[in-house]
Amino acid sequence: MSTHSAALTRAEAFSQSRLGSWIMTVDHKRIGILYMGTAFAYFIVGGAFALLMRLQLAQPNGTVLSNADYDQVFTMHGTTMIFLVVMPFWAGLGNYLVPLMIGARDMAFPKLNALSYWLFLAGGLFMYSSFAFGGAPDAGWFSYAPLTEKIFSRGLGMDFWALSILILGISTTLGSINFIVTVAQLRAPGMTYDRIPVFVWMMVVTSFLAVFSLPSLTAAASLLLLDRQVGTHFYLGGQGGNALLWQHLFWFFGHPEVYILILPAFGIVSEVVPVFSGKPLFGYKVVVLSGMVIGLLGFTVWAHHMFATGMPVLSLLFFSADSFLIGVPTGVKIFAWLGTMTGGRIRLQTPMLFAIGHVALFLLGGLSGIHLAVVPVDWQLTDTYYVVGHIHYVLFGGAIFGLFAGLYYWMPKITGRTLSEGWGKVHFWLMFIGMNLVFFPMHILGLLGMPRRIYRYDVGHGWDTWNLLMTVGAFIVALSIVVFAVNFLLAWRQRPAAADDPWDAFTLEWATSSPPPPHNFDRLPEVRSARPLWDRKHPQQADWRREESPAV
Amino acid sequence: MEGRPSMTVLRSVHRRSLVAAVLAAGLLAGCAGSPSFLEPSSMIASRQAALFRLLLVPSAAVFLLVEGWLIFNVVRFRRRSSDQGLAPQVHGHPALEITWTVLPILLVTALFVLTVGTINAIAAPAGSPQDIRVHVIGHRWWWEFEYPDLHILTANELHVPANAVVQIQVDSVDVIHSFWVPQLSGKVDAIPGQTNELWFRADQPGEYYGQCSEYCGLNHANMRVTVIVDTPQDFDAWVENQQAPPPQPDGELAQKGHDLITQGICSNCHILGLEVPDESHQPSPAEAAGVRSHVGPNLNHLLSRSMIAGETIELTEANLASWLTQNQVMKPGNDMVVNLTDEDVAALMAYLKTLK
Repeated sequence: MSTHSAALTRAEAFSQSRLGSWIMTVDHKRIGILYMGTAFAYFIVGGAFALLMRLQLAQPNGTVLSNADYDQVFTMHGTTMIFLVVMPFWAGLGNYLVPLMIGARDMAFPKLNALSYWLFLAGGLFMYSSFAFGGAPDAGWFSYAPLTEKIFSRGLGMDFWALSILILGISTTLGSINFIVTVAQLRAPGMTYDRIPVFVWMMVVTSFLAVFSLPSLTAAASLLLLDRQVGTHFYLGGQGGNALLWQHLFWFFGHPEVYILILPAFGIVSEVVPVFSGKPLFGYKVVVLSGMVIGLLGFTVWAHHMFATGMPVLSLLFFSADSFLIGVPTGVKIFAWLGTMTGGRIRLQTPMLFAIGHVALFLLGGLSGIHLAVVPVDWQLTDTYYVVGHIHYVLFGGAIFGLFAGLYYWMPKITGRTLSEGWGKVHFWLMFIGMNLVFFPMHILGLLGMPRRIYRYDVGHGWDTWNLLMTVGAFIVALSIVVFAVNFLLAWRQRPAAADDPWDAFTLEWATSSPPPPHNFDRLPEVRSARPLWDRKHPQQADWRREESPAV
Repeated sequence: MEGRPSMTVLRSVHRRSLVAAVLAAGLLAGCAGSPSFLEPSSMIASRQAALFRLLLVPSAAVFLLVEGWLIFNVVRFRRRSSDQGLAPQVHGHPALEITWTVLPILLVTALFVLTVGTINAIAAPAGSPQDIRVHVIGHRWWWEFEYPDLHILTANELHVPANAVVQIQVDSVDVIHSFWVPQLSGKVDAIPGQTNELWFRADQPGEYYGQCSEYCGLNHANMRVTVIVDTPQDFDAWVENQQAPPPQPDGELAQKGHDLITQGICSNCHILGLEVPDESHQPSPAEAAGVRSHVGPNLNHLLSRSMIAGETIELTEANLASWLTQNQVMKPGNDMVVNLTDEDVAALMAYLKTLK
């Protein structure tokens, strides 16, 4: 008995120590910070991989990396950015904000929440430990079979990859269920479904996408492990298996995944643009609905990644038509943001700059996406740099610009410290210019016939100049991240003195202190519309008055 | 000296207009010298290029509309110190929202119709006895070309006559590759256990660059292809040459080289010429199933090709001799792992250089 209670006391003492309080925490805010901090560390590593690639490709027949190294570097760049940076960053930001934005005390399952984080950390570290065991995965972030089979990939890299993906999948699934239940059950009184902030809505849609698409990835990775470790032939064509099975299973996850990566950024922009325009979101219901439609359609377009695999014409037409259709709800969102700005009083502070950057850049990703839905054009452009340019306008221009819009916006709330506007603007312009220099020429290179994933290319194809320019752009982006880091460290040295509501915002998280107390709210404001804080600040022009007597 | 500054100005003006010209050329007119479908040499690539250029029109319109509206918003509605009070709290405008839902639906419907039209226009024509039939087989990391009607088996350099329909069957013996020669047609994946089809008709004689476009491992970047479109006369001459059996070795050294290729270590992976099946030839079950025992290219007529190592290294006698011992440096990770003595190399070279 005495040893038992001694152990308990030790555990208690540990959980009150500085380190222990973070390790043992089940507070959604601390877990959110852990998620975001870890994701940012992986972001630095993934970015370093990108710089290595750009050094190798700066000139024809580059010799910075061997072909074996290059293959690991591009695989780990993509895998890291998607599974270890953007997804967990959204999980972290969502963790921090969803309970605050709906006026809840915490997530529905706090311990499960902690487990999600530690599984994410473990999955990532496990993936990276492959470098110490004879080589990292080297089959690209979508790891097409049968290249990943034992006979073609003899090291342990792909086993590490598949196992990590399974661990990360469990983490994301648990986290997603937690978000869904939290929003369904823990909303503040008055927070009906048509008053939930758009960011929260997008986290819900994202969570549903993850819950329904991850099983396909789990199946794909499990079958791959069976093939590699037990000697089954699921992906070995001609031996009873089917090489394309992987692609169907992977992309049935992989396309919803793109929306998992981008919808939370849409949510952030839908929060930031109204606040900095001093107006409500133009067409709240349509924006939320279009997010859901994007999510649903996202499940029906996976084979547009496979137009060159020899599909029957009818399938080509179905997946082409569906992919075109996704452009419609996406366009609706863009127009809604533009409509929100029109007639507003726009404050061009850093969060707004990044949100505007998101709109300006994501548009290009959307347009090139439409180009790739045009099957005969896709037959030329798929697996070229055109596609690489497309995904980076979506994921860097869309997701990463959205991410920084959110970081600058919620930094005062999360840390009590405000990032410098001056450095923030330098960060924005360097990143905006750098990303266009590195990613726009990718479209031209794709049109000029340069395939993706090649570790070298010859002179004489007209590819040299564009590649050099892209390398310069990549280092400008890297410089912008250094500026951000400096900005962050400078802010960190301040005393936490941010106002509770520094941006004159609309939603509940700004109704508590910066940073919030462990229990989140001393007293919840009344929720009678989608903008409870606006209502409190402007009782004569409260949104609920309009809802009661619809005049506009 | 005095001319210098104006020269610099001229040069910079020139450079600027050059950049603009390159941009315009790259995006709209295609870029000469690049393996680009915007510089097409077949009906298929022409249709694809025309469709892409057409796509740029609505894309540019949407781009200008959205970015223009965005910039207008920032300029016109930026908060000024003179601004009094709150912005009008407009929550939406149903008619507008319906408009910008319906208009894009109409636009993508039009694009879909264009897509279907082009798919139909570039569909393969019905087979005819005049077609050139080629079986393209992807290997890590080279392309094998089998002409079933002509009894030719060659690698990496695909000869076809101009203005003839070329019907291609594509598959792979190992991982997924993708066969792509941009100026002639779109790409189609080479998938183990599945045969895909592709066709093109090259407009004019010339050499067309392509390379594997599905990541296939270490030497994905070194898996290239040249399509050599010949005049009908040149093609007939090429066929006649390719159909010739391997020459008898001339001298003792060449004999030793020949034996290394046909019975020695080279024969583990390579073959030397095809046995021309006569009427009475019964294909073995393995042959009938298309199973191949060789993992390296047919060495017969090696010197009729201009490049080696997946079309990455010029085929000269010196490079070929280096390849025999240094291939892991020249194409790191390729499957050719042999230890040849200097005598072996001399013997092999003595015979290989007769394989015109």
